[in-house]
Amino acid sequence: MLDVRPARNALKQGQDKYSNLIDNSFEEIKMKPDEISKKMDKIDRELLVLLQERMGLALRSKKFQEAAGAAQREEDLLARMERMNLDLVKRSFSRQLLKTIIEESKRLQDEDRRLVAFQGEHGAYGDVAARRLVPAGAYIPCLEFADVFRGVEDGYLDLGVVPVENSLEGAVTQVNDLLTTTNLNVFGEVKVDVNHCLLATEATDYREIRVVYSHPQALAQCRDFLRRNKLEPRPYYDTAGAAKMLARENPKAAAAIASTLCAELYDLDIIKEGIEDAPSNSTRFLLLSREPYSGEGEKTSIIFAVAHEAGQLYGVLRLFADAKINLTRISSMPLRSDPGNYSFFLDFEGSEKDSKVAEVLDKMEAMTISLKNLGSYPADSGNS
Amino acid sequence: MKNLKLAMRETEQRTIINISNVAVGRDFTVIAGPCSVENEEQMFESARAVKSAGADMLRGGAFKPRTSPYAFQGLGLNGLKLLSQAGKETGLPIVTEVIDPRDVSWVAEFADVLQIGTRNMQNYSLLKEVGQAGRPVLLKRGMYSTLEEWLNCAEYILSEGNPNVILCERGIRTFETYTRNTLDLSAVPAIKELTHLPIIIDPTHSTGRVSLIGPMSLAAVAAGADGLIVEVHYNPAEALCDADQALTPAIFADIMQRLRPLRSFMDKLPNSSK
Repeated sequence: MLDVRPARNALKQGQDKYSNLIDNSFEEIKMKPDEISKKMDKIDRELLVLLQERMGLALRSKKFQEAAGAAQREEDLLARMERMNLDLVKRSFSRQLLKTIIEESKRLQDEDRRLVAFQGEHGAYGDVAARRLVPAGAYIPCLEFADVFRGVEDGYLDLGVVPVENSLEGAVTQVNDLLTTTNLNVFGEVKVDVNHCLLATEATDYREIRVVYSHPQALAQCRDFLRRNKLEPRPYYDTAGAAKMLARENPKAAAAIASTLCAELYDLDIIKEGIEDAPSNSTRFLLLSREPYSGEGEKTSIIFAVAHEAGQLYGVLRLFADAKINLTRISSMPLRSDPGNYSFFLDFEGSEKDSKVAEVLDKMEAMTISLKNLGSYPADSGNS
Repeated sequence: MKNLKLAMRETEQRTIINISNVAVGRDFTVIAGPCSVENEEQMFESARAVKSAGADMLRGGAFKPRTSPYAFQGLGLNGLKLLSQAGKETGLPIVTEVIDPRDVSWVAEFADVLQIGTRNMQNYSLLKEVGQAGRPVLLKRGMYSTLEEWLNCAEYILSEGNPNVILCERGIRTFETYTRNTLDLSAVPAIKELTHLPIIIDPTHSTGRVSLIGPMSLAAVAAGADGLIVEVHYNPAEALCDADQALTPAIFADIMQRLRPLRSFMDKLPNSSK
């Protein structure tokens, strides 16, 4: 596990830079009109990003907030803000502005958007997957995969999106490990094509780029591209985190490798799209929910363990072969609780509501030490 | 010529450069497209027009070496992206000029062939850089250069480990003013005699006159050239650069219809007994 704290602290310091607007050096005082308007653009973008964050918090608070007392809280807030002595921001204006923001939060809360958790910063591939799986949701970034599971399990968030396997790198072990113990159900799946882009701020001349920040796995997947263009890879805790850092701090001669969604979210230029060395690299994500999928479903995921004896696994797999059920994934992982023994992850076509699937699952009960049914869900058709 | 260790012809074997499904040096290769990438509509319309007329590769400039610093300098990286999208849509490999050593690796990310223009023929640091870029290079003849000087420039690229050099005769400066330059067609058999490298003709910049492009294209076929690079704009009247020498798609299609039969005819002629 990467230690993300130093990177997070660096990010914090970057944010603080923007509160530092009073301290104008002579360089800043003599800014040309176009430089001033560029700086204003940047501040406007920052305002919107902060608003986005604020709206996300409003949606989360709604889950636990009682209507009583809200009006009083709102009045307190407005009064408190008015006591701030900002000579250029008139009290009447700040009151009106905050009121508008609060009204918009309420409107959003009434829209009843589902809170969808993913791991990483906004713009991470998990975010891309979440937007595909739940089109009109509110997407909530989480620090770790465990936070996604806990957040949904404990009812703070509605749905979770986690990666289970990558076509090049194989199983995402942390997630598979969490799946063995969770009580959540699989509600859907999506395959997201990894489309790495080289991103830089508008102010950066691509010819001057020397260092590239990204998650070590993304850097490794673009090794050839970096070498061809004599770029130095710099590991960062997250692809989208690197894009965000770039947008906020604009370090000299730097770029990031991240998704096209990051280019949109952080207003970065795409220098080149599809820079990964090997094509057809995709990650499969699962949508997790407290309730099982209510429809039929076309695919089912299970996890099981068998006794450490000859022929046990074969016996289980033969049930599927005899019933002519097509397996779409099979992988194994050592049991955390009992190293030396393995959990098997099986995905197959068909719904647990099909009689032939139900029959196989029934027979499996007797043949396995443990059997966990994650549920049946619609299969990703692959187009979109 | 004694320093031309790699460019000189030692055997009958000629260099053939495979670029997607085009074999430069074996098939007659026609590279066509606008002088510069101006916008999406112009680039895509021009690309579709040259494709349907039978061109093999698409050209378009994103970095323009202009005589005046105030003339349109090209769209840069955004131009490259448009050109590469137009190439993908039509399935044509793309050829584009690079003028700055710092741009070489980036242009190579988008282009199939890197072009060195006439003004940069002897820009040795640029030649070294394209020699390492891992892409075929189209090397235009300097407008004041002898064949020997030109071939020494090819040698620079070859000696960096890039064997894929396509030479391009684009006219030289003479006292004649009616044409923009004088097309030195004798360079074609001379180059074939001296080297194993393919040579193509640029009838656009050498003549600077639309009416002369067709006849000189046919003459290039007859002289044994391996191809042409020609400027075609979907609407020449509105072109941002070199408007008076760009062909309309209709004239280009007309030339193409006469060019291919002439090439087949030339292929059927008995070999000279030399």
